[in-house]
Amino acid sequence: MDVISVRDLFRVYRLGNIDVHALNGVSIDIGAGEFVGIMGPSGSGKSTLLHQISLLDRPTSGFICIQSLDAGQLSDRQRTKFRLKHFGYVFQDYALVPELTTEENVSLLPMALGKPDEDCHEASVEILGVVGLKERLSHLPRELSGGEQQRVAIARAMVNQPDIIFADEPCANLDSINSKRILELFRQINEENGQTIVMISHEDEDIEYFDRVIRIFDGKNL
Amino acid sequence: MLTDLKISFFLATRILKRSSKAGTLLTIFIIALVFTNMIFLSSVIGGSIELMNQQTVDYYISNIIIKPKDDNRYIDNSSGLVAKVNRIPGVYHASARYEMGASLVHKSNEIALPVSVFNPDDERMVTKIHEMMKEGQFLTREDRGQILIGNYVAGNKDQSKDFFESLGGVKTGDSITVNYVNGVSREYRIKGVFQTKSYQTDYMVFVSWNEIEDVLDHPLDQSVEILVKTEPGTREDRVKKTMMSFGIKEDVKTWKEQAGGLFDESIESFQIINNITLLVSLIIAIVVLFIVIMIKTLHNRREIGVLKAIGIDENIIIQSYVVQTLIIGIVGIIIGFCIIQTLVLYFSLYPIEFPDGNVSLYVESGIMIESAILLLIACIIAGYFPAMRIAREDILTAMRG
Repeated sequence: MDVISVRDLFRVYRLGNIDVHALNGVSIDIGAGEFVGIMGPSGSGKSTLLHQISLLDRPTSGFICIQSLDAGQLSDRQRTKFRLKHFGYVFQDYALVPELTTEENVSLLPMALGKPDEDCHEASVEILGVVGLKERLSHLPRELSGGEQQRVAIARAMVNQPDIIFADEPCANLDSINSKRILELFRQINEENGQTIVMISHEDEDIEYFDRVIRIFDGKNL
Repeated sequence: MLTDLKISFFLATRILKRSSKAGTLLTIFIIALVFTNMIFLSSVIGGSIELMNQQTVDYYISNIIIKPKDDNRYIDNSSGLVAKVNRIPGVYHASARYEMGASLVHKSNEIALPVSVFNPDDERMVTKIHEMMKEGQFLTREDRGQILIGNYVAGNKDQSKDFFESLGGVKTGDSITVNYVNGVSREYRIKGVFQTKSYQTDYMVFVSWNEIEDVLDHPLDQSVEILVKTEPGTREDRVKKTMMSFGIKEDVKTWKEQAGGLFDESIESFQIINNITLLVSLIIAIVVLFIVIMIKTLHNRREIGVLKAIGIDENIIIQSYVVQTLIIGIVGIIIGFCIIQTLVLYFSLYPIEFPDGNVSLYVESGIMIESAILLLIACIIAGYFPAMRIAREDILTAMRG
């Protein structure tokens, strides 16, 4: 069963007097429990596509269906709620809240779902244990290495047990050892929890981790 | 709703605790000063009004004043009325006053001024003028040929320093001539000069009841007013009611009723100045907080974008900045309150010297609460709009920073 269906997706940006066609009629399907890699050269439209299917941006035209729901019909508020309940995000530059500790960064999301404090604490400690950061609960992001920060971001993305995790080049700022650890972690999450993962990468060696690769070139899927 | 508030508070406290301390402390300090500024002037004005009220009671009207009814000039059978008033529960003592038009002459200086007449023994129990002798002594019941004059009447040798027309710097022991309106002229030795710093009282002169009876050449049982001192702890309005229930037909007024119009214009002018200062203080508070929160939100723009991306509602984000400004405001107000209390203590030890008297700060709790509420509203406004501007921004634009 497809959790994401995209048809004839266009995204045009206006830069001064020029229209930039970031997406030119992309049509893709992603099945439940798939670990999908989106690959393509710089400027091909990978990130734009990810932003559309993860409901961070609205397309110029086209149809996006997430879990049988027409995303175009959702208001901004509904999209925010939907993202909180069903999606997890891992960004290239970690995107942690600098004033929150490791545990607080993770427990913020179950808190936002209205879970009791005790449950939030337990869930975040447990998930931080899974990513190997149980000893770093009270550290601030600036006190962690890049790899550790990205693992906190993964823990945050996983804590609400979302249906889909979106990762935008999560290893771009990491060395090869940390990159490998992160990719293995994603693979483990995908296999153990059956969560759908959509990840952007431009490293060919990452292909071995993906179930399938969607290649984007000049705003179109090949 | 509660969850939203809880998360806003959670984010706000963490951001305040772990972001730049110097910036936060400086903002708190500014708010404390703004609050102090909002209270300080009104408390100086409050102190001045309190001083005027105290002076009115102590030197001018006492607690209750009885005046002739309707268009009558005098209260007849004054001694009988004083005796009656003295028997009324809640009354400490009453003192009758009479007044006679006159001109006072000393060398080339001449001023037209009514001479007030009292029984010095009664007056001592009703006003505190006898405690405010600048030089010489207060009158006694037996005094004849002696006069008590206020500091402004005595004046200065250099008359350019005088507020009013004066006798040009007369001293205790000097002689002055008083020409009464009934044609009698008397030479008086100045027995004492009093200085209450109340401009109405200090521009008065007094002679004893015995002396005026000599001037009039007949016993006097009339008065223009009777001042009534109430027992400590009693309410003047209740004593007034009791007096009326005892059948006093004259015009009875508490000092507040009598002085009500006396200072209205001054108080109104003070209030205008105070309101302008209050408005300026509030604008300063709003602008400072607005700038601080604007810089903060611009600095945290990316973070706001990320919070929205991961599913935190923009209202929670806006609320978290409002909570931050509220916390800054509350802490600033508490510090401002401590500064005010320190100033109150300081000025009670070293009052501000005004021509009308020494003014201490008089802080009304109502004004304090009102100012705190106004400042907190300013905090909400100043926190809300900059945060709203960034939080309503499109996610990807905000995330680009």
